[in-house]
Amino acid sequence: MSVRALWIISHEKGENVSIRFSRRFPTVEHRAKCLAGSLYVPVPEESTVLQLLLTELGLADADKPYVVLRDDCLHHQRSPALELHVEGKGVLWPVLAISEGPLILACLPLVEGPAEPRPPLASLLSVSQGLTLLAGLQTFLLGSGSKPDSEGLASRLAMLPSVLLQVCPLGTPLDVPQLGAPAASLVSTPAGTQKQPAWKTGLHRGRAVVNVALTEMVRSMQYGNQSRQDLWDVYGTVTCKCEVEGVLPNVMVSLTLPPNGSPLQDILVHPCVTSLDSSILTASSVDDCDGSAFSGPYKFPFSPPLEPFRLCSYTSQVPVPPILGSYQLKEEENQLRVSVTLKLHESVRNSFEYCEAHLPFYNRDQMGGVDVKVSSGQLEVSKEKNLLVWVLGQKFPKSREVTMDGKISFSGSIPGPTDPLCTDLTAYIKLYFKVPDITLSGCCVDQHSVQVYSSAKPRITTSRELQSKEYFIWNATGAAPVSSGHMML
Amino acid sequence: MMAVNWAERIAAFSLSPSDFLSRTTPEGFLAELLRELRDDRASYNVKVALLSPLCEYPTLLCPSVSVGEETALELMSVFAQCPPKALQFRCHLLLALTSVLLCSSCVNTHSRASQDFLELLLQIAQDTSDPHGDGALRSLRVTACDCLRELEACCPGLLSQRLELLSGLRHQETSRLHQAFVGLHSLGLRNAVYLLAQQTGAGAEELKAILGGAAAVAWEADPDSGLVSNKGTPLPSPLISSPMGTVPMLQTGPDCKELRSLLSSLLEESYLLTPLCQAALLHRLIELVAMVPGVSPAIFKAQLLRLLGTSEVCLLHTTLLMKAAFTDSLFSSEDEVFILKRLVALSQHPLLSTPEKLFYMDCILHFPENRPISSGDGDESLPVLLTPRLAAALVPTVFNDSATMLARLNLLSLVYLEEGEEGDGEGGRGTAYLYDHIISLIRIVDNRGSREMIVTFFRAAFLFLFHFCHVEHYSHGMTEKLCDLYLRHTRLAPHLINLCDRTQDRLGELGWAVGLLGALQRAIAGAPLAQLTLQDLRWHLKILARAAEEGEISQQKTLDFLFSVITSSSSSLCVSGDWRLGNGVLGVCRRLLVHPSLDSLLIPLADILQHLSCRYGDTDIQDHARLYYSLLTTLSREKLCGVLAQGATEGGRQVKKRSLSSIMAESEELTSVLSIHQTDRPVFKLVELDLYKPQQGTEMGREKELCIDENSKPMENCPGEQSAVLEAYKAQFQHPGFASEITLEYQLTHAEPHDSQFDQLFSIRLHFDLTDDHYEELSDISVPCLFRERAAPVVRLSLKPKQPYPTTLHASAIFTSQDGLSWHTVLPDIHVAFQQAFIPLSAPPEWGAEGKLMVFEGLWGEICSGECEAEDLTDCATSLFCGQLSEEALVALVEEHFLPYRISDQSDKEEYKVLFFLPPHSHILLKIRSEEDAVQFNVATDNWQLLPYINSYLLTITKSSLQESVDS
Repeated sequence: MSVRALWIISHEKGENVSIRFSRRFPTVEHRAKCLAGSLYVPVPEESTVLQLLLTELGLADADKPYVVLRDDCLHHQRSPALELHVEGKGVLWPVLAISEGPLILACLPLVEGPAEPRPPLASLLSVSQGLTLLAGLQTFLLGSGSKPDSEGLASRLAMLPSVLLQVCPLGTPLDVPQLGAPAASLVSTPAGTQKQPAWKTGLHRGRAVVNVALTEMVRSMQYGNQSRQDLWDVYGTVTCKCEVEGVLPNVMVSLTLPPNGSPLQDILVHPCVTSLDSSILTASSVDDCDGSAFSGPYKFPFSPPLEPFRLCSYTSQVPVPPILGSYQLKEEENQLRVSVTLKLHESVRNSFEYCEAHLPFYNRDQMGGVDVKVSSGQLEVSKEKNLLVWVLGQKFPKSREVTMDGKISFSGSIPGPTDPLCTDLTAYIKLYFKVPDITLSGCCVDQHSVQVYSSAKPRITTSRELQSKEYFIWNATGAAPVSSGHMML
Repeated sequence: MMAVNWAERIAAFSLSPSDFLSRTTPEGFLAELLRELRDDRASYNVKVALLSPLCEYPTLLCPSVSVGEETALELMSVFAQCPPKALQFRCHLLLALTSVLLCSSCVNTHSRASQDFLELLLQIAQDTSDPHGDGALRSLRVTACDCLRELEACCPGLLSQRLELLSGLRHQETSRLHQAFVGLHSLGLRNAVYLLAQQTGAGAEELKAILGGAAAVAWEADPDSGLVSNKGTPLPSPLISSPMGTVPMLQTGPDCKELRSLLSSLLEESYLLTPLCQAALLHRLIELVAMVPGVSPAIFKAQLLRLLGTSEVCLLHTTLLMKAAFTDSLFSSEDEVFILKRLVALSQHPLLSTPEKLFYMDCILHFPENRPISSGDGDESLPVLLTPRLAAALVPTVFNDSATMLARLNLLSLVYLEEGEEGDGEGGRGTAYLYDHIISLIRIVDNRGSREMIVTFFRAAFLFLFHFCHVEHYSHGMTEKLCDLYLRHTRLAPHLINLCDRTQDRLGELGWAVGLLGALQRAIAGAPLAQLTLQDLRWHLKILARAAEEGEISQQKTLDFLFSVITSSSSSLCVSGDWRLGNGVLGVCRRLLVHPSLDSLLIPLADILQHLSCRYGDTDIQDHARLYYSLLTTLSREKLCGVLAQGATEGGRQVKKRSLSSIMAESEELTSVLSIHQTDRPVFKLVELDLYKPQQGTEMGREKELCIDENSKPMENCPGEQSAVLEAYKAQFQHPGFASEITLEYQLTHAEPHDSQFDQLFSIRLHFDLTDDHYEELSDISVPCLFRERAAPVVRLSLKPKQPYPTTLHASAIFTSQDGLSWHTVLPDIHVAFQQAFIPLSAPPEWGAEGKLMVFEGLWGEICSGECEAEDLTDCATSLFCGQLSEEALVALVEEHFLPYRISDQSDKEEYKVLFFLPPHSHILLKIRSEEDAVQFNVATDNWQLLPYINSYLLTITKSSLQESVDS
């Protein structure tokens, strides 16, 4: 349950690679050596590790089209644990690596047992712990936005030695790094006999404030085609920020569904939730829905940490998509005939924070003439002339239906971007929208259902919103890719 | 030295410790670090950085117990003098101490420093004083607990007698620190129970004793016995199945109330820990309960729902570990269905990261079933409960990233194979979906997919074939699609050849690879020649060469194609005289020469070769073609095979072995002969011949040969006076090469494990690389052969020191195995100890003992009086080393270690005089005297930098001789 070494590598698409930080844990290495006996493979020096890791991740020798070591089809790229083949020494396993933006984070968990036969990953707790540690470090280094900011990154890398002293001393992961400095209104030493949770850096003093925000994401794949069933689903997250006095204060948040709402599925809760009813966990998205399933209220008793946290998440099957679209393209000589209809479902509040439809065109020259009319909203052509942006604004018209019709010619002098998937008439519209104060599943957090067991009367705010995520409408006249197994069964 | 940029130096060290240390010595660097750590002017930030080499590479800097011990004592004194407010530094110091003491085996050997350190840690951990009221000391206490936990993990049982203390500390602590005590306590407990379970006859009583802190009653207070495991090796987790079999069990009967209540209290508090620590605690407790049948796994029941609903991967993981450990004694069959569904749902959950999802998919394939059907030998296998309907959530799509897509493809292939891959059932439809998916991937590659997509497609194709190659409908379809794809993108040739090789290795009996190669050959031959580019041709020749290796593929079409390519008027190939393309053509011809159907190919092949030899625009190609032509037309078939390919053709790829003497057409393709293969692990090693024990009786021992320059004239006799003798001795150094080498002898022997492939090795060329600057480069050494059953050959290494410091040599070798392949292998590193550089005083033999004594006295006088030659003056130093040795032990020690270097008269028992000469020109002189119960080693040297080495050498030998005398 320890890691032997840790590396943080930065790169720009396989170029300019460098190890920005690394740490060896020799006492864990000592244990690895004892446990593996004659099959022990020592961790090589940094330059070797870097080269092997890049080969394994397919990033080495970016300029060469084929390299046996990197591209062999026998290679198991499908496991979360990589093998590094150290020349003349053997195989280092299981190396965990996560890659996001410009950073690769990797570690080598200790196998607390004989090296052969190789134990399954599922029997090694150090693997899931390693994943947690890497993800925590990644969030710490990149922030939640994963946007590269070289100065911020450098300053956070410089903090790592003292951070690791806290979260992974001597190679044993204890916690993930905390983001930012703790708030000022904290008292660090508790009085009394109640033990302070290790995940709580201090105590809040002052008025109790509880903020519960529910965000639902809707995904959709619409084909407008008899042979392909349209798909949509939603998933939601409940984020809390609780400022409540006490070492271990109790708070309860309940999620409720409307009378006919379909049950919330795949519920995952934050570790601060103290207990769960088994009925809450029964509904699963991979299962046929059971009519008698539990449908709320979903109660989550917990003792909040100081920082904002994701209390729970769920998925849900909803009967209709919020916006139903149809997209038809026809090739006419040098131009494309475009026809789009978007219908807003009546159950959805017609009040958007924003709503846009993007129509990208790939593997064609730049757009020349755009002779397209829309029944509502404005049309923009992107600077690169390969994307039409249809800004629908805050409201659909009363009819709740908008259309686009017209012709686009691709007579530009420069070829536009390519995409291996969207060839010929395979094309899509991607919708971006956000609707405040509704959820598709109907799930909500009632302000009065939030209970805080503390002396002072708390201020409680709740909010909810619906957002689109991967919301695609495919051209019905082209071949659209299959996106889910549920389509064929 | 103040100007030294430590940040840069430390960074350079971490980047490559071996490079860094090659420019200095570990001892020197360590000394520098310790000096700087003691320097009050250095800031604590710098000092924290200075500790990192010790924290990360303690074994490099402290390679022995004695160095580790000394370093630890130094660090502890730095700790003692450090002001309390340098909290970060003090924490890092504790970590450095832990690393140094553990890795240099000080803890295992119960050294003084390690025991002091253990006491220090326990003291810090219990120190509840809070002088500033800000809880600042708490972080030091946490670190002390971390260090204690690591000590216990590396040396299980170390804390077994302190369990009650730890339990008390855990109960008292209300701050966040309690987490550290929980971790420490639970590990100590688990180790104690593990060790108890390994003792025969241990049971409830003994368990009660350790829980009650009365372990001392059960196992006398002796650090070497009892629960401190003697070997001091970390314990494997009983949850990982070992080939040896079983989990150690502690039979307590139902009476283990104390343990049960302890476990309950730990579990109750588990909620208060961070997820990572919670998971670690649960893991330890699962191990404990698995080892003590007296405690029911139901103790975990209250935690289960919380853990099953969690979003934390490591916490959910613990439920899988529980499931594997306790199966139906904790989980009903409904629970099992639920957990599996949960895993499937999590494997595609939109809010989880890709590595987490891959991990969950891996868990599905190693699902701990209550009643497993398969043997559970670690291979992937499907849980019985995973139905196609359930698995449908995980079908691969083109929107997945590569790793996810391949993992899903693999999983679903297993699911549909189980269901029956043909027909209208779920298996049949599922397989059809997977095939369609592969076709979509082909389309993506066809539409100029990225390099990553190409690689992913070929991996997916291999996976699909691996599972469904026997379904003709699909395997034929794949062949067709791949041929089409190839003709449009010939640059995919290496990928296709790789796919053929791999499928042939794994699925050779199905012959799919041969089918594909045949189809590719036909496709190449059938494509219109007019559109052929030279680039395409280059790839075509590679494919055709590979196809020509298959005895089952008729080669007529290949010959037709080659003929038309080299003769067609539209092709400028012959005129261009491109050597690489010519070689490509010859490469195909060469394989055809050994093809089983050569008889039917004879005339067209001869035509091609003749044409090449006359018309090709490159002389080398012409010559080769002519040679092939004459071989083809003059040699019998058998001889031709003998010349071109050694070994029989065995179906499939006919040419398995090739001899070095075979005649090559091109270098690229004949990888197995021309390239040097890399061995997976060392094949042989160099074992030092025991050099330390001089043969009795011979005065010089002569184990170490001196390289005395041949031109040096032996002196007639000893030249009288001391000064003249010294003068004459020194004059010898004027001869270049005088006494400049040390020769070390090794035996070259096979390494374990036994690999019969390497039983007989030939033409071994050993190559040595220096790891530092202190020696001259070594020349390679050749060993004609190494046979396992014969005596090991002796290898003499001649080292020429620049500075006679200890060193490490990297060794590698190139050799030929009996099947004619060339190999490169890495040998275990060779460590040259300080004393291996010693040479006896090299005086002409005629001088006799007296002459040598004169040299000794002369040198001694010079060094001690500071009258060394001007330039050496500063290098001279004297030192005194004392060791506790009895008279007899001293005699034995001198016999054992100093005999060849002894100068004084054998009869002189009062004082021993010993001289070590260290090439190129350093001397260490010892006068050894017994004083009551101690022995004084007066040391004089003309190279003060050798002092630390001689000190540690003397320490080692006096210690071991002390040990020996105690043992006897």
